[in-house]
Amino acid sequence: MKILLVEDNERVSQFVIKGLQEAGHTTDHAASGKDGMFLAASEPYDVIVMDRMLPGEIDGLAIIEVLRKAGKRTPILILSALSDVDDRIRGLRSGGDDYLTKPFAFGELLARLDALHRRAQGVNHETPLTVGNLHMDPMTRKVTRGDRQIALQPREFKLLEYLMRHADQVVTRTMLLENVWDYHFDPQTNVVDVHISKLRQKIDAEFERPLLRTVRNAGYMVTAAEGTRP
Amino acid sequence: MFRSSAVSLALGYTLVGVVALVLFAAPLWYAWQGIFGEGRAEIFQADSQQLADIFRREGPEGLKNFIDARVRMQIPGDRILLLADASRHRVAGNLSAWPDVPTTPGNYVARGGEGIEGFQTALVHVASLGRYSLLVGRDNRLLAPLERRFWYCLAGALTVLVIAGLLVGVITRRALMSRVESIRQTVSAIIDGDLTHRLPTPLSDDELNTLSLTINRMLEQIELLVHGVLNVSNAIAHDLRTPLAELRSRLEEISLIKPSREAAFAEIDGAVADVDRVIRIFDALLRLAEIDAGVRRSGFVAVDVADLAATAVEFYAPAAELRKIDLCLLCEGPVRVAGDPVLLAQALSNLIDNSLKYAPDKGRIEVAVRRRPDGAVEIAVGDDGPGISDAEKPKVVERFYRGDGSRGTPGVGLGLSLVQAVAKLHGSSLQLSDRHPGLQACFTIAAGPVAPPAPVADSDRGMPAAGRRAMA
Repeated sequence: MKILLVEDNERVSQFVIKGLQEAGHTTDHAASGKDGMFLAASEPYDVIVMDRMLPGEIDGLAIIEVLRKAGKRTPILILSALSDVDDRIRGLRSGGDDYLTKPFAFGELLARLDALHRRAQGVNHETPLTVGNLHMDPMTRKVTRGDRQIALQPREFKLLEYLMRHADQVVTRTMLLENVWDYHFDPQTNVVDVHISKLRQKIDAEFERPLLRTVRNAGYMVTAAEGTRP
Repeated sequence: MFRSSAVSLALGYTLVGVVALVLFAAPLWYAWQGIFGEGRAEIFQADSQQLADIFRREGPEGLKNFIDARVRMQIPGDRILLLADASRHRVAGNLSAWPDVPTTPGNYVARGGEGIEGFQTALVHVASLGRYSLLVGRDNRLLAPLERRFWYCLAGALTVLVIAGLLVGVITRRALMSRVESIRQTVSAIIDGDLTHRLPTPLSDDELNTLSLTINRMLEQIELLVHGVLNVSNAIAHDLRTPLAELRSRLEEISLIKPSREAAFAEIDGAVADVDRVIRIFDALLRLAEIDAGVRRSGFVAVDVADLAATAVEFYAPAAELRKIDLCLLCEGPVRVAGDPVLLAQALSNLIDNSLKYAPDKGRIEVAVRRRPDGAVEIAVGDDGPGISDAEKPKVVERFYRGDGSRGTPGVGLGLSLVQAVAKLHGSSLQLSDRHPGLQACFTIAAGPVAPPAPVADSDRGMPAAGRRAMA
């Protein structure tokens, strides 16, 4: 992915740039609103990471509004130290696609950028999903692995659907809470892990190669590839 | 002093009193004058008629004798009688000369001068008897004391009124000032930081008292809030210090003992976990502050609490299953209220999470959502755990309070205080009661106007499109 990072804090920038590089992405960095605006308007990016509060006269939300008015549809993730619900709403209303509060775990940022990128490529909610020999048909709600049919409860279906739509990507617990249960808060429990292990029981228990993997310190991933991603 | 509201009020009343008194006295005076004048004129007419009869019967000489006799009998100064000839010379009577009035018949007011000594004004009646002119009158001097008395009374009344008015003004001002002063002193003490002071509220039921009672209620609320803030900052100091201290020593240790790569990475992972703990406490506190500020009430939309409860029960079901706890939902159909969906979901989740912590293995947790007859919606979560003693009940909703039984369980001790804050935002409070065994936590949402379900409002809440629940 080609990513633009608009962020004035040097430490945070270095940390993010290094992390993105290691994950195999090219990153341009702008430390001010002016530079950010210029780069975002002139270069094609897959995803933009925009800090909300920037030095100078142009802040992150203003840049997003200008870009959207100019017809740029690049997915934008807003990075902000403001965590109020109202701030979040304002950020998303101005045209942002996702909102991450500082401080954040790098894994969370990376997972969300992957999800944004994939979403921007267009999602057809009707095409069947396939990971290895696991198949899911969102229309008939049928799930099969190999030649065996797997019976899932509605929420388990939703959980698996989300994981499969983001196959080969890390999906964090927060992303699952938000997208599967619509929970925009931290329930401070490991219940998501319990749901995952229940799902794993159903899809992986009797097969040699597990598809649903736990990524340490980050989240989960459904993948047919050998081993786990770094 | 004249700028005092009590004094100006008293002065205003006094002025109104004076005007009323004058308005009352003026017509009285006028009527009095009229009645006297008319009465006298009639008497004079009758008098002069009698004298005219004598003149006709006995001639001028007879009348002269009659008048002389009458003047002799009379106390001087009372009646005025004068018979004059054509050239206005005195023929008989107690005036030495014809006064300054015409000789044509009629009623006149004569000014004093010669004649009876000392008369100043007199009402006189003049009648014509052939060549002679007859003047009958009465000295007004006799009326003067009466008139004087009237004026004195009026002046006296006015004086009393003004003095009484000023006196009342001053006294009222004193009384008011003493109460205002006591309020001022109390408020000064509060400004200086002692929030325990309360305004004096004597048993009277006046306006100041009502105001004082209201202000006292406000002070109680402020004291409560300030206490809350103090408690929170103490709790933050305590609860953030612990993980920060751990973090600090962890990092210091790494730089001191320079462990192997693997050990260093393990320590760093531990440090990140410490930081995450601090962040979680921070987030929970910020959210509480946000709810307490009440700003989220503007975000109320129509919410199906039954649906939220179903999601929460389903979310925790696998965790309950692991411990063979029977987590069940008692609820029928959609139960719509006006509320904040995110916060209500979090409150429900916290209550169930709390029950899960305390319910024994193979126990039972009941989540109930029901509409009461008065329209309010009750949300109750009950378990069959050890419960909470009555003494501890008020404490568990306090921020950062962790019951004795909760040592070693995860959580930062803000769960129930968040539920309490959410309940408060929705117009009620968290009630804890015994189930023998176990604990029931319950709060209500007042029946309010329910806005039509708005899917637009859902996206307004700031959820990414993929995160929105299917609108089925």
